Amino acid sequence: MSKLLRIFSSRRTWAWPYILFMVLFVVLPLILVGVYAFTDINGHFTLHNFAKFFGHSAAIQTFLYSVMIAVINTLICLLIGYPAAYIMAKEDFRTPKVMAMLFILPMWINFLLRTVATVELFNMCGLPLGEGALLFGLCYDFLPFMIYPIYNTLQKMDNSLIEAAQDLGANRWQCFWKITVPLSMPGVYSGIVMVFMPTVSTFAIAELLTHNNIKLFGSLIQDYITTTDLLNYGAVLSLVLLIIIGLTSFFGNHDSGGEKGGGLV
Amino acid sequence: MRLMISNLRFKILLLGLCSLLFVPCSYAASQVEYDLRVGTTASVTVLDSFPDSFSSNRVTITLGEQVRLEDAVTSENLKQLDFVITHISQPALRQWGDSVYSYTDEAGVVWSVWHNNREIKNIQQKTKVKNAYEAFEKYLREVTGGLGAGTAWLGWLCAGLLLLCGVVYACIQLYQRRKEKYLSPAEQEMLRRKRMGNRRHYASQLYLWILLLVLYAPIMLIAVFSFTESKILGNWTGFSFDLYANLFTGKADAGLNSAIWNTVLIALIAAVCATILGTLAAIGIYNMRARHRKAVSLLNSVPMINPDIITGISLFLLFVALGVSQGLTTVIIAHIVFCTPYVVLSVLPRLSRMNPNTYEAALDLGATPFQALRKVMMPELWPGMLSGFVLALTLSVDDFGVTFFTKGSGGLETLSTFIYSDARKGGLTPELRPLFTIILLVMLTVLIIVNVRSDKKKKENL
Repeated sequence: MSKLLRIFSSRRTWAWPYILFMVLFVVLPLILVGVYAFTDINGHFTLHNFAKFFGHSAAIQTFLYSVMIAVINTLICLLIGYPAAYIMAKEDFRTPKVMAMLFILPMWINFLLRTVATVELFNMCGLPLGEGALLFGLCYDFLPFMIYPIYNTLQKMDNSLIEAAQDLGANRWQCFWKITVPLSMPGVYSGIVMVFMPTVSTFAIAELLTHNNIKLFGSLIQDYITTTDLLNYGAVLSLVLLIIIGLTSFFGNHDSGGEKGGGLV
Repeated sequence: MRLMISNLRFKILLLGLCSLLFVPCSYAASQVEYDLRVGTTASVTVLDSFPDSFSSNRVTITLGEQVRLEDAVTSENLKQLDFVITHISQPALRQWGDSVYSYTDEAGVVWSVWHNNREIKNIQQKTKVKNAYEAFEKYLREVTGGLGAGTAWLGWLCAGLLLLCGVVYACIQLYQRRKEKYLSPAEQEMLRRKRMGNRRHYASQLYLWILLLVLYAPIMLIAVFSFTESKILGNWTGFSFDLYANLFTGKADAGLNSAIWNTVLIALIAAVCATILGTLAAIGIYNMRARHRKAVSLLNSVPMINPDIITGISLFLLFVALGVSQGLTTVIIAHIVFCTPYVVLSVLPRLSRMNPNTYEAALDLGATPFQALRKVMMPELWPGMLSGFVLALTLSVDDFGVTFFTKGSGGLETLSTFIYSDARKGGLTPELRPLFTIILLVMLTVLIIVNVRSDKKKKENL
């Protein structure tokens, strides 16, 4: 009993249940994705699933198309979000926090409902549903993820640097490109990661926004993984997505997750 | 005074721009050829077969009201009908009218709406709808230009407002210019510079407001149409609180009610578990050696980096591999998985602000570890725990991807999956509109209160 007590007194051990839990429900499932990708339906090792993927031109096309859509969406979000974040951080508002908050508030409405409402808005305005609607919907859903990290870094930026540059004769434009932009790059990186990753893996939104006419990689995975016979092939597709995600977070290499949650409340 | 005037001018400009948006709506509404306002009655026939047996029912659809079934029709009174809905194309029908709208029902049968008036706008569209009546309502909405012909005055009102704004703006501008004539050149130069700065300020403000307008347009659509009882989003059938009443008296769709309860139940259990697990983990991680701490932090960040679909699929595969039947328990476990890291992250900063020796002091004074945790650490940690709990709650309520893959096929639905399956069928349960309007208002209030309070605190600290 006293030994047990001593183990619990050392606070280091308090993380053990969590570590056990995470290994069981995070690490093990991720390994399982790999295991399923390399086995056939009877559990025997096979490379057939991978061969199938590389011979399946429709799947590869969908994959490339999804990546392209994600890249375009990330660019659009950056182009729209950077000025917004810059204005919020630099201009005087009587209630700067409320302004930042207004951009985050839509995220509390279920994103599927927002998507359905977007579809209705397009219907009401007589706009066709298709690629345009898809990009609008994606940008609409993920824009706050771009604005928030950039806003955070810009707000923490030392304004005296800009004043110094101005004193040394730089004009506004030079100040912006030589001081503000380089200093805000960490925020831009994490914004890019936070928009790119959910966009490339998105499902459900695309099929609602395009009346099921455009299929993204996420929907493809969903189709295969929910079909029992094709589960292993679905695992291969998931593995491909996982690799893309891994690469993105490796190149982004910033603590993107922390800001994602920590800043919202 | 000067600032006030320019501020006023800005507001007038903004108001004018907003009202500009309504002009196309009103134009569309005024272009309607066939006026079907709220309360208009049209006789509609739903035909299962044609023409030998008219076994199907003749119905009267009044916009905004329930469909009423009437007597069966015979081939003689086809002439008296306005609309016919059928899945069979017949020469007799073609003589009588035109197929103006077609749609596919859940069984995959293609139905078309026929109308006897050949002048009517022809909308050939294939959409998936639940039933004939819904399709018909949708069709009528298309015909009436979205807002309904009765709302054309709204557009004209806005156009008038726009004109008024323009006039007032021009007057203020003229008045100011006139006053400036009497200033010295140096003062005029200063004013010019200031105006440039102001212009930049207003341009950037305008940008933000336009962005917000676009961002909130779909949400406002939901909020506005929560005050009408039409089944279809975008079809205004008069102001009413019926949807709110339905929501609170449980008259709404049974699936929706159970989805709401499931969502609340799952979110609460998952958030409580995540808070307990995450707080203990944070304390443990904080007291670890640096190397171990780094490893565990990496582990902690994995579920945060993983997109929903990966977390969902990997857990799905785990449950399949273990042979566990999926349902409420698996969903709760999955939610704990992606919520806990956020709790850990919100508790950790609190720990580093705390005096690390108090806990040991409590132990030395004879407290058990549990007592020390409850009496010494908890009071210091609870703000972090609370924000972690709230975060976990919102993440859990908002989640779709993970729930979708772990809910199994037992018919368990949360709000997100309910909306998804609803939207896939083509419609949206109308009571969702008031529900999310309320959520939006509550969140808005909470956020404003929290922010105003923290602003006040900051001012006091200064």
